[in-house]
Amino acid sequence: MALHAEPGLDGAGPPPAIRAHGLVKSFGTLRAVDDVTFDLAPGRIYGLLGPNGSGKTTLIRLLTGLTVPTAGWAEVLGTRMPSRPNLGRIGYMTQTDGVYTALTVAENLRFFGAVYGVDGGEPVEHALGIVDLADRRSSIVGTLSGGQRRRLSLACALIHRPPVLFLDEPTVGVDPLLRVQFWAHFRALTDAGTTIVVSSHVMDEADRCDELLFVRSGTIIARGTGQEIRVQAGTADLEQAFLRLGGNVEVTR
Amino acid sequence: MSRRRIVALFRRVVSEIRRDRPSLALLFIAPIVITGLVTFILRESQAPQVTAVVVNLAGPRGLAVGNALEAALRTDGATVSDVADEAAARAAIGDKAASVGIVLRPAVASGGSLDVTVITNGLDPSGDVGQVSAIQRSILAAATAATGTAIPAVHHTTVYGTPTDDPVTTFAPAIVAFFAYFFVYILTGVSFLRERTGGTLERLMATPVTRGEVVLGYTLGFGLFATIQVAVLLLWALGSVHVGALGPLPAFSIGLGIAASGSPILAFLVVVLLAVGAVSLGIFLSTFARTELQIIQFIPIVLAPQFLLSGVLFPVSSLPSILQPLVAIMPLNYAVDGLRQVFIRGADLGVPALQLDLAVLGIVAAFFATIAALTIRRDVV
Repeated sequence: MALHAEPGLDGAGPPPAIRAHGLVKSFGTLRAVDDVTFDLAPGRIYGLLGPNGSGKTTLIRLLTGLTVPTAGWAEVLGTRMPSRPNLGRIGYMTQTDGVYTALTVAENLRFFGAVYGVDGGEPVEHALGIVDLADRRSSIVGTLSGGQRRRLSLACALIHRPPVLFLDEPTVGVDPLLRVQFWAHFRALTDAGTTIVVSSHVMDEADRCDELLFVRSGTIIARGTGQEIRVQAGTADLEQAFLRLGGNVEVTR
Repeated sequence: MSRRRIVALFRRVVSEIRRDRPSLALLFIAPIVITGLVTFILRESQAPQVTAVVVNLAGPRGLAVGNALEAALRTDGATVSDVADEAAARAAIGDKAASVGIVLRPAVASGGSLDVTVITNGLDPSGDVGQVSAIQRSILAAATAATGTAIPAVHHTTVYGTPTDDPVTTFAPAIVAFFAYFFVYILTGVSFLRERTGGTLERLMATPVTRGEVVLGYTLGFGLFATIQVAVLLLWALGSVHVGALGPLPAFSIGLGIAASGSPILAFLVVVLLAVGAVSLGIFLSTFARTELQIIQFIPIVLAPQFLLSGVLFPVSSLPSILQPLVAIMPLNYAVDGLRQVFIRGADLGVPALQLDLAVLGIVAAFFATIAALTIRRDVV
């Protein structure tokens, strides 16, 4: 089966975990997201790749229901967004750390756990283990390094073990060794059925994703595995591929 | 010293502030509005509107003085009517049908003179002073003219509380209420702004939490500290602990020792309701601020008019009549009145005026909590 096949459409595979149909978000005259349609299968890692300001974060905010689309709709796990109850099944790691700097690491995790309805020490320990922060559990977040805060931010998104995870540039400021661990963990999560959407503008992470969506000026300009996109663009380098595909779109418009 | 670096810094500051619209507005508009308001209040403050009731207990001589007095008061624009006895006068002043009562009695000491007692409401001491001085001249003129010689002794008494020389009595309720409001607003506004700008609100909104839960949680959290603050403030204001001389130290007392005739628990309730409203106000206004500086900038716009129009500095009764509708919608006004009802009148929960104050403060708190909740999902661009 080709990796870019869209399960669910032929009635054979599982239903898509995330769907977008004709999604548009305008801010005044700017169309930050411009007619985006896709189905994303469960248990896979999708890379949302594009330059700064291409609309990745707005797209994630539309998918999580944090902002209301100007047109079109988004669905997560079969529920139309925005849906407050459905947010309990979604984890969202924001681009800013979004953690409370005056609290300790463990207090942050307990707080977000409680908000998601997850209580007790086990989920906190589990999340601390994933991001390797167990020995800093009692540290005030304000005293942590940027990379450590990023790890805590990821842990807060994982605390309720959501089946769908949106990660907005999760590895910014994370050292290479830990980056490898992050990706190993993402893979373990998808093996267990979690669907992950990772946004990034770093192309060297792209090959770790099952499938890539290239975003430019609010539209998806290409979709496929890293290999498929290289072939399509006729280059061995994803960065080159992105530039070429982006350029082609400009020409064909 | 590098001229180039100084110019670069200068230009940076100018461009930054030029783009900060709220700061610009504050810099130019706020001083004009505030000084304009203060000037307007000072210039246009009305001579207090006097509604007098006169009780004559001094027979024919009193009647002569009374008639001369009523004529003099009417000339000065006062409304005057006669009532039968002092109890009726006190009742009329108590429910604000009249602003001042004048009781004429034969003087005990000298047969030829009169004894004049002026009765005021007492809840607004500085307003009362205005009433008394407004009618004093008429009383003296009328009494002197009618009796020929003796200048009568004028006594001042109040329906609620007792007239006092302690200037703090006038300001204490207002100052307790204002500072509780002020500090709770700052604390909440800045904290919630951090929640908005630090990305934690974005993350919180991506959880199943509801806006109502956020506002209630914040109200409880800050309410706890507001409650402690109000308790400490009231203890400080009302309490007085005498400390005897210790070695070289002279004796002194801790606490302001302001006399209060009502229940401190009721005073506490009034201020806590006001503070809960301030929590929601802080959340609401943080929507319009991008920096902590801008939270501070709302003070002259939002808090200063309340300070000027709620009887903290100027008696509400003397404010220009065109401002009276504004006075009626200032939450602080109801807290100040509520505290005066408790401190001066010794009001309990059965007093309708205090019930009104508590009801208005409760409604204001609920109103701001609602609009605060509505601002929370606002799209952050």
